[in-house]
Amino acid sequence: MPRGQKSKLRSRAKRQQARDETQGLRGAQVTAEEEGSPPSSPAAGSSQVSQRAPPTSSPGTGDSCESSEGGAQNADTGAQERKPGNSQAAAAGSAQSSRRDPLTRKASLLVQYLLEKYNTKEPITQADMLKVINKKYKEYFPEILRRTSERMELVFGLEMKEVNTSSHSYVLISKLGPSTEGTLSGTRGLPKTGLLMTLLGVIFMKGNRATEAEIWEFLNVLGIYAGRRHLIFGEPRKLITKDLVQEKYLEYRQVPDSDPPIFEFLWGPRAHAETSKMKVLEVLAKINDTNPSSFPSLYEEALRDEEARAVEKSFTQGYKQLCMQ
Amino acid sequence: MQGSTKRMGIMTDVHRRFLQLLMTHGVLEEWDVKRLQKHCYKVHDSSATVEKLEDFINNINSVLESLYIEIKKGVTEDDGRPIYALVNLATTSISKMATDFAENELDLFRKALELIIDSETGFASSTNILNLVDQLKGKKMRKKEAEHVLQKFVQSKWLIEKEGEFTLHGRAILEMEQYIRETYPDAVKVCNICHGLLIQGQSCETCGIRMHLPCVAKYFQSSPEPRCPHCNDYWPHEIPEVFNPEKEREAGVSKSSKKSLRSRQH
Repeated sequence: MPRGQKSKLRSRAKRQQARDETQGLRGAQVTAEEEGSPPSSPAAGSSQVSQRAPPTSSPGTGDSCESSEGGAQNADTGAQERKPGNSQAAAAGSAQSSRRDPLTRKASLLVQYLLEKYNTKEPITQADMLKVINKKYKEYFPEILRRTSERMELVFGLEMKEVNTSSHSYVLISKLGPSTEGTLSGTRGLPKTGLLMTLLGVIFMKGNRATEAEIWEFLNVLGIYAGRRHLIFGEPRKLITKDLVQEKYLEYRQVPDSDPPIFEFLWGPRAHAETSKMKVLEVLAKINDTNPSSFPSLYEEALRDEEARAVEKSFTQGYKQLCMQ
Repeated sequence: MQGSTKRMGIMTDVHRRFLQLLMTHGVLEEWDVKRLQKHCYKVHDSSATVEKLEDFINNINSVLESLYIEIKKGVTEDDGRPIYALVNLATTSISKMATDFAENELDLFRKALELIIDSETGFASSTNILNLVDQLKGKKMRKKEAEHVLQKFVQSKWLIEKEGEFTLHGRAILEMEQYIRETYPDAVKVCNICHGLLIQGQSCETCGIRMHLPCVAKYFQSSPEPRCPHCNDYWPHEIPEVFNPEKEREAGVSKSSKKSLRSRQH
């Protein structure tokens, strides 16, 4: 290594520290000024601070620890006392702040974990979440979850929806509506969604489960064949048996007791969370240039599904209110 | 409840959609980020003027600060393209990958990472990585499986593959620089110009200092006779061009053909 490397690193770290200190102050100022009476002001994550390495880490964060520490102190009075940010003091301050508001700290940890899960689109179980925040916080879990969902909604516009009440698993869905970012050079976007909606429609029409043969019959009519790469959808078999299954939009399983084995498709938990039978029926009706009531039995089923959702929604809201008290 | 709404006052649906889409992509080039920003304005607030990207991102980062997350800007090591990713500030491990990969897959990544950092060129050959398959933690992995896992890393933009050799994707450097510096403090290489972590770059044959390709491009931009900033000896390598987003779009040069022009130079 060239001589002077270490001293260069040290001086660079010092320069960055000085730079970030002013930035951190500015950043902290924004959050502090906008803060009213915060029960959930961000406390310094002392466990995180201690894990972070010395100088090269972002002291800006250290500064926000300092100022928000003041916030946590005065949470009851609602007044905001801002201490001047100082990254050296942050290390000392973090030890103190670990006694303050550990629940918010845990909520931040959980937010990071959920963001990572959002990308894999897998459902998140309560058990997994408890592991992240440490099982000894189990009794505080409802409160931590409440603070986490609040941040997820406010900052990212993501809502946590329970998809399986017995195993307490959730998915994150966007409150902002479908993202039609077909303008980007990415491979995601609308075409898959359109196909998905019609697939869900076929499954619904066939009594909530469609055999693989029935699905392919439908797709072949659209000019989509297994093994034949489609311009928009790519390889269709992989799309419907792997990609959409991994994203929990579809379920693909063997028909029970089928010999030779036959496979069938059902709606996946994410489809149930993000759309409804009524919405899918509306799409079906549109394609056939008619309205939902033209399919009487499907329409009836969709209506019952809407009722059940309304009941569930009011129940969840009531439960949330209970938790907040 | 009211208070926290006030604190997040500057977050509107424009910012939220931006964050969601940025997260979905993992890492984005600056051009795509600008389009993304415009798209979000169009959807949620079409009458407003699109804020300057730097300010837009700084505003979001001030809100993310309390969550120990930030939108970080970096530069690709091979051709100097600006890239953006949402990174955790308080991690000291490769935790972002932890939700996507199994224990033995993560260990494979760590082994590849170590080989890349120890290498002279910043590249580790597929053969050398696969030879370490027996040393992995967790479930036993065969070489065939490991090849497949390496391809997964390339697809999720943690590694780049070039002619059978692997190096770190810009995304990995953005997300893991801190972790890498802490874990391999002696082996880590650093750029003489920007002092950032260096995986790929050029080095002076006399005194051994190293520079990122984009840093070389900027530093020697108007020098007819490039000389090493440290020992003043002639700089023996080809000086790359400074990345110019306007030029590239006009020329319509595809990324892959541009990459093949650049060779690793050490």
